[in-house]
Amino acid sequence: MFRVPLLVALALVVAFVGGMTSAVWALKATIGFGSIAIGPWVAFPEAQTVAADPYAKAHRARAGELLYGSAEGLRFTAATDDSGARLSAACSYDISGITPPARFWTLYAATTGGATLRPGTEIPSAINSWVVLRAKDSSFVIHASPAAQPDNWLAIRHTGNFQLVLTLLDTPTAGSSGLIDLAMPKIVKTGCGNA
Amino acid sequence: MRRVLFTFLVGLVGAALLHIVIVLSLPQFTGRDAYTRILGLLEMDSFFALSAEPGPTGLDNSDPFLRTAVCSFSIADAPARFIARGAVPFWSLSIFDSGSNEVFSMNDQTAVNGDLDLVVATPIQLVELRKAPPEALAQSIMIEMKDDEGYAVLRALAPLNSFEEQVRDFLTESSCAPFRRQ
Repeated sequence: MFRVPLLVALALVVAFVGGMTSAVWALKATIGFGSIAIGPWVAFPEAQTVAADPYAKAHRARAGELLYGSAEGLRFTAATDDSGARLSAACSYDISGITPPARFWTLYAATTGGATLRPGTEIPSAINSWVVLRAKDSSFVIHASPAAQPDNWLAIRHTGNFQLVLTLLDTPTAGSSGLIDLAMPKIVKTGCGNA
Repeated sequence: MRRVLFTFLVGLVGAALLHIVIVLSLPQFTGRDAYTRILGLLEMDSFFALSAEPGPTGLDNSDPFLRTAVCSFSIADAPARFIARGAVPFWSLSIFDSGSNEVFSMNDQTAVNGDLDLVVATPIQLVELRKAPPEALAQSIMIEMKDDEGYAVLRALAPLNSFEEQVRDFLTESSCAPFRRQ
């Protein structure tokens, strides 16, 4: 005789648990639609505008970050290398190539949650377009590694996974996504452990 | 058995509805969006320079080479004017409304003489400013904002440590204040 109330309760439990977990999961898993992805690099050129989709708006309201305006710059993040494996702080990576046209760019490592890694001032934990050493054709190779490296060394002092953040400042990429041919640096794993 | 299946289906429809309601209404009540955090700094009408470590409001300079200052403002009574001068390799400014939507953004190359001089006004205030332009605003960029409240984010670039002082001066000497006619 309790069948009907039981079924109603079941429907309510499915609705509430399913609705809330799926909403939380969706907001954690993605920053929204409208991303541009170049290899492992992902950027959201419209996340800060009124045209952003509801998921992007909900995500930015939960994250509470100060986003870049379209005339300021565009922030690319990479959580994986070119082969699709997650970036691990125990491994070394080579970030090589060129960036899309920009007046300035900065590169640093962050936790998967987005907090900047700040290992201290005595080791180079961030690189920008002024200080990077380049080849004759203006391409560069940056070694992201926990161990000291010659040339461009991006020191990673972290355990577990991390992500790379490449910010292009004053770039046409932010205004006209997809219209110009974008080339982003490649991220290739060179080894793991102390070897 | 079929009734249980039907119940599950009803539950899933309810879950989909709830999902949509949560995602759409979340921006109104998170309490930790960027605008609420900036209001939590309790500094209206002046630029507040952020530090490298997250403060009580959780805002920080996330980029190691960019120094950020934020300012919440209201244009309900008078337009807001933003001024910054100084030699830094790069600066940029974004104006957001209280829903964190970008209203306007610029950088030093899109500014007059490389200096920041911007007036944000409501459409009605803007008509008044255009009718009788004050002498002081001859060089200013004027933009319109429909929302009464918002915040500004000013970023300045220090590519090397030696620029630190210049950038700090640039940010501390910048102003974000209501504009009133003399």
